Amino acid sequence: MAFSSSSRPIKGKLRYGGTNHEHKIWLFMRLSGLVMFVTVVFHLLYMHMFVRVENITFDNIAERWSGPAGVFWRLFDASLLFIGMAHGMNGARFSINDYVHNKILNLMLTGLVYGVGALLILAGSLAIILGAGGLGRLLGIG
Amino acid sequence: MAALVASIYRGISYRGAEGQWAWILHRASGLGIVLFLYMHIVSIFIAAIGPEPYEWVHKVLYTSPPAKVMEVFLLFGVLYHAANGMRIIIIDFFPVLGKYQRTIVRIELALVVLVLVPAAIITLNGVF
Repeated sequence: MAFSSSSRPIKGKLRYGGTNHEHKIWLFMRLSGLVMFVTVVFHLLYMHMFVRVENITFDNIAERWSGPAGVFWRLFDASLLFIGMAHGMNGARFSINDYVHNKILNLMLTGLVYGVGALLILAGSLAIILGAGGLGRLLGIG
Repeated sequence: MAALVASIYRGISYRGAEGQWAWILHRASGLGIVLFLYMHIVSIFIAAIGPEPYEWVHKVLYTSPPAKVMEVFLLFGVLYHAANGMRIIIIDFFPVLGKYQRTIVRIELALVVLVLVPAAIITLNGVF
């Protein structure tokens, strides 16, 4: 099968009851979805309803990311970055496969989503590791 | 491209009731969230450079009036995608509930509205 779909993969007769690559991806989308049902909804409601976006300042972030609790929040933010991007890029791949049947265009769009995505995961990781203003201090700007 | 246009047209004209609209909204909100996520990572990266770039990003991309209106769409998109994803997981693992999927879609939408309304009021407070 050249193109996958976002629905549950149909298992072939010879491999009935076994697993294949798309079956693992199907399971990954459910498990990452369950995790993000807790983490992303918490992040969204906490930032938008309780803190409010207007009140998030540079100093707030520096404070939240410092000390022993800061290690937890950096790991929490990293989990949002990694799980969110993996789930999101794969969802975009489902959509591209459903609509773009030209093999070259399909490959180009998928490459764009994953290529830009990989750069963004790198950029986001740098921001989390170096901390608020860390990148500016490292480069001598900001 | 023609396949995309035809598919979108069929998706809208096909009268599949609750399940069909739940699927369309799931896909649209998912793609919207991915676009936001890409923008969000770029802006956080800019903000990580220092206080001044942070102030600019915060003022222009996050707290300007158009951004606040877009924020309500983001709230709806994430809350809907989370609730509908939960419905998909529940029906995938307990297929017997597929019989009640129309009712489950309605319950899910009611829950989304219940959380979205206060969140949207708090978000838009002071914008207009």
